[in-house]
Amino acid sequence: MSGRFLNLLERLVRAGVDLVVVGGFAGVVHGCTYVTQDIDICCDFSPANLLALQKALADLHPVHRMTTGRKRLELTEENCTQFKNLYLDTDLGQLDCLSVIEGLGDYANVKQASDIVQVEDMKLRVLGLDALVKTKQTMNRPRDREVLLQLEAIKRLKGKPR
Amino acid sequence: MAIEANNKALHADADRSPDAIQAARDHGIDIAMLVDNINRTPAERIRRHQMALDTAEMLRKARRL
Repeated sequence: MSGRFLNLLERLVRAGVDLVVVGGFAGVVHGCTYVTQDIDICCDFSPANLLALQKALADLHPVHRMTTGRKRLELTEENCTQFKNLYLDTDLGQLDCLSVIEGLGDYANVKQASDIVQVEDMKLRVLGLDALVKTKQTMNRPRDREVLLQLEAIKRLKGKPR
Repeated sequence: MAIEANNKALHADADRSPDAIQAARDHGIDIAMLVDNINRTPAERIRRHQMALDTAEMLRKARRL
């Protein structure tokens, strides 16, 4: 499987991490033409799932990229429950793990709003186009509005109702 | 041939419902690129994104001579 981001996602999927690709990279999967430098996922923040995620990333030197000194990712059954989000950097790129998505809610809602796409030999959950539009409308930052223009155009081009 | 027919259909749809398309076009978004991307598989979109990202990173690391 080629490409750092695909390798990163493949590791997680193969390890059985329960996740949905969201954010800018989900837009790329739907056809947006911009370039994004990280992957955002929404995932189940249960200790079992987070520990599986940590195991999948173990040899990629994962660190909390927003902490002073870029602390190593060292999750345990006990400290897992402290986190709502994990902002990570790894040898294969940045990975932001979110437990809640604005405009949609928690992982269960996000998973329900996702599509399964076939990427080479991997089945990947990606936030659906309509749900992605909704999150961008909710966040409504300048960069979200920029993405929204592309997503709305893609919806129209695909002939989906508004 | 199938892609060409699909492109025609996509463009025809865009012509019938120009609002979102026109808004994107007015903003400077290349609609032809979007159409091309829609015709690709998700794997191809990701692969091309990776190529663009790799190029951008290579250029960022480039030094002036």
